[in-house]
Amino acid sequence: MTALDNYVAPTSLEEAVEQLLELGEVTILAGGTDLMPQANAGRVKFKRTLMNIRRIPELRGIAREGDEIRIGALATISEIMAHPLVREHLPLLVSAGDHFASNQIRNAGTLGGNVCNASPAGDTLVPLMVLGASVELASMLDDKLYRRTMQLPEFFVGPGKTRLATAELLAAVRIPVPPQGFVARFHKFGTRPALDISAISIGVGGVLKNGVFSDVRVAFGAVAPTPVCGCATEEALEGKKLDAATIAAAAVAARDEVHPISDVRASDWYRKEMIHNMTKRILEDVSTTH
Amino acid sequence: MPETIQKDSLIGKRITKLDAPEKASGKTRYIQDLDVQGQLYGKILRSSRVHAKIKRIDTSKAKALSGVHAVITAADVPYQRPIGVAKDHLPLKTDRVRSTRDEIAAVAAETEAIAEAALKLIEVEYEDLPILSDPNDALKPGAPLIHPEPHGADGSHEHLKQGMPIAYAGKPDNIAMTFDYEQGDVAAGERESDVVFEDTFFLHYVTHCCMGVSGIIAEFDSSGNLLLYSNTQVPFLHKREFAEILGMDPARIRIIQPPIGGGFGSKLDIYPFEPITVFLAKATGRPVKLVFTREEEFLASPTRQPVILTLRSGCRKDGTLTFRTVNTLHDNGAYTSWGATTPFVMMQTISSLYRVPHCLYHTKAVYTNNPYAGSFRGYGNLQATFAVEQHMDMMAEAIGMDPLDFRLKNAQDPGEVTPQGMHFKSCGLKECLKTAAAVSGYREKFKANQANRDKPGRIKRGVGIASMLHVGGGAKIYPSDGCGTILKMDDFGAVTLITGASEIGQGSETVLAQLVCEELGLPLSAVRVVNNDTEITPWDVGVHASRTTFIAGNSAIGAARKARGKILAAAAMQAGLNAEELDLRGGHIVETQSGKVVMTLSKLLRQLHFNDKAELVMTSFYYEPPSKHQDKKFKGDVSAAYAWATQVVEVEVDTDTGIVRLLKVTGAHDVGRVLNRLGIEGQIEGGIVMGQGYALTEELMVENGVVRNPGFRDYKLITAPEIPEMDVRFIETMDGEGPQGAKGVGEAPAICIAAATANAIHNATGVRIMALPFTPEKVYRALHAARKEAA
Repeated sequence: MTALDNYVAPTSLEEAVEQLLELGEVTILAGGTDLMPQANAGRVKFKRTLMNIRRIPELRGIAREGDEIRIGALATISEIMAHPLVREHLPLLVSAGDHFASNQIRNAGTLGGNVCNASPAGDTLVPLMVLGASVELASMLDDKLYRRTMQLPEFFVGPGKTRLATAELLAAVRIPVPPQGFVARFHKFGTRPALDISAISIGVGGVLKNGVFSDVRVAFGAVAPTPVCGCATEEALEGKKLDAATIAAAAVAARDEVHPISDVRASDWYRKEMIHNMTKRILEDVSTTH
Repeated sequence: MPETIQKDSLIGKRITKLDAPEKASGKTRYIQDLDVQGQLYGKILRSSRVHAKIKRIDTSKAKALSGVHAVITAADVPYQRPIGVAKDHLPLKTDRVRSTRDEIAAVAAETEAIAEAALKLIEVEYEDLPILSDPNDALKPGAPLIHPEPHGADGSHEHLKQGMPIAYAGKPDNIAMTFDYEQGDVAAGERESDVVFEDTFFLHYVTHCCMGVSGIIAEFDSSGNLLLYSNTQVPFLHKREFAEILGMDPARIRIIQPPIGGGFGSKLDIYPFEPITVFLAKATGRPVKLVFTREEEFLASPTRQPVILTLRSGCRKDGTLTFRTVNTLHDNGAYTSWGATTPFVMMQTISSLYRVPHCLYHTKAVYTNNPYAGSFRGYGNLQATFAVEQHMDMMAEAIGMDPLDFRLKNAQDPGEVTPQGMHFKSCGLKECLKTAAAVSGYREKFKANQANRDKPGRIKRGVGIASMLHVGGGAKIYPSDGCGTILKMDDFGAVTLITGASEIGQGSETVLAQLVCEELGLPLSAVRVVNNDTEITPWDVGVHASRTTFIAGNSAIGAARKARGKILAAAAMQAGLNAEELDLRGGHIVETQSGKVVMTLSKLLRQLHFNDKAELVMTSFYYEPPSKHQDKKFKGDVSAAYAWATQVVEVEVDTDTGIVRLLKVTGAHDVGRVLNRLGIEGQIEGGIVMGQGYALTEELMVENGVVRNPGFRDYKLITAPEIPEMDVRFIETMDGEGPQGAKGVGEAPAICIAAATANAIHNATGVRIMALPFTPEKVYRALHAARKEAA
């Protein structure tokens, strides 16, 4: 007996944001892989209107637009993993997809949904941050379709909370095409190889030239209310040669800059230890394979 | 008609389960899929407090909701009687709640959604009581009493019926059950010892996670007869129990078991939701169906019992075991189910898995405000084996003996009667040990891994061994361990096998059909098994204790042999031959020696049916063979046969993360004889994975009486990529009493995985962990502590 009064299924982005503005209280349905279990468990309450956005063509597709790759909000994890542009330029997303839930969920779950769900343990969020992604947000402004973009770290506010405005829809994720020599790694640390929620996750990316690491980006998942940047770790690595001393210093910096909590999945102490050990492992892997 | 037919046996063949096509194609109708004309849906309101007095319940708003037919509380069912193993438990709680699963009220409504909405309208006022969640505190002076003298529905004593059982009428302390056992003189044993170890082992909460959640449908007919569609594992015992709880004549209760989506012991007791559903059916005059949600299944179905076990054991330098002293504290939870009686089984492993002259054993199950523990595959044996088999490795190391040799030196032999009085008529333990070790390369790997421990590298490999002993020929728990069979043959040579033994997914109906076919020379397709209706099937004590193949198998063979004798006698008369020279093969009567076909079976059967002397309905029964039952001091035999196994586990430990990966399990199982090879492989593989979950990933996290992970997201069952390579060998000891030589194997494969894994982790890292499960964090902490100590 949910208090769902209204169901809409707009067929264009403009229609969707118009309806959002008009209806106010709306629950968005994309892949449903987070929404439905959360609703069934009583953690999410449906608002008056359920909006199915799956019929909006502008939210689909993966394409290159200038120096960016635009991934429509409705692109499923499976589509992303199989797409030639992603495979060529953003292999990090492919390897992250490999650790994403199960095949069934990857076939239904969307990138936009994963981003808007804003779980601190969301599997695509850390890699997207490492890739410098931004979100494209659509709304109605002065009777016209208006789009703004926002850097990902700015977008996240807390678990399940984002800066998405009430009448706004996440239309796409935009990722700059990485420069020559860009290498990146994502490590999801859970306690089992499939269908796991990560206890921590780490993403590292940067340009490696002659053994020197620059333009470094580090992000951590499941150690704070949102995915977070590893600024101190970036600093420990920026412009340095990836030798044992640098790696050791970066791993310590990583451990010291995170402040995780204890929950059913892991204690804060263990999470910090794993941030240290896995940062070290990732960096060693980068230094030995490139 | 063929001229000759040669003998062909089904025993040991790979036979697809009879119910596989229905299950694989999704057509099986479990209780979830069953609907009865006019049924209502039941839902239960459970406590939102861990331990509290119930001050007030107001159901008026729920009753007023449209579509609600009944809202009941304890006050509405004054005829309630306590349930459970110790009868300490009313289905609907009166004056207090003792755990968060406690049932306060129940609703019957037109739809599940309405019932759900009605629950939210019930108001309950509580007065919190101090929570007792640590079993160590249960016996301390001043500990909150979990079962003080109860009050009636209105809080007064007047509503307490006369003659209520003691356990319900109030307990002066928190002790639910104790077991004490003694053999020899442990002090003398200790004096003879060169090495003595004492350690405390911590066993955690896990739960069955049956794919089919709990459920029941209750329906009264116009004459007041009660029909239950129930997933119970013990329909005949439950008829009587339901009758007692409901104050009914047992003869008026009929139980039909729909196909059951897994039991593993969880359905061995009556739980409050079952009588509550009957109360709702009574209150509404309509059939009521109540099926758990998955979350409810985690919160309100039983668990394996958590145990704190202190083991003191010793041996001589030559490797002879000298004594064992065991003290346990079982967390009983708020009420007493079968979990409290698991020390009965643990005792057998302590006293008789290996030869130990002196044993002293004390156990206490104490009440807490935690979930209550029931029966679970292995029945305490996983816990006992975990402790005993780790000490075996520790003692072997201390005296510088190979762990395999140490075990072989103390292993039992066939024919042995242990000091506890268990008689091992067939015993393949030594062969199990030797086979598992040889096939896995245990000795070499053990040494190589040990040598590799302190070398650099974050990944360490380890190999661990453990053995087990479990009942395999029924269990003399009740005054009888019997099972009856009715077998009838139709005009066309088809057999209906009506057995008391329940199928819970373990494959019993296939094995029983196979045993019958073996006697009657019929293909498996000729047999239909009827096994799920107390109105039709003969009596059976229930599906538990790995007993069905052995007990029900012998019973089925008995009926088949009667039919065979009758058929061959009639054929001999007709053909003018000797019955002893005839055999049944491929639906024909043949001469045994030559295989020459004498006549077709169906033709003979038709002739017999038209002959007024023909009786083609056979009945038979099997009760455990005479042997010395246990006395009050637990001396004597508990089973007609015992199953043995050794498992060697190979692990990889990532010392950076504490993740333990099971690479391979090599098992050698004394199963008496393999009947259905496909079935037994499936059972052993399934049991290994269940043991793996117990060892590594599964844990029902209970904090201050609250279950923190009631779902598969954070209650971690083993997933497909984690399942190890398995190499299972069968040791066929041909038990003299077993059906075709077979022994029970249902529980065996889950029992020693955790113990072997503990030994493997030690072999890999030098670190011994005495608390389950071996989650990455726990292993990492232990490795970290060891590194710190070393530095």
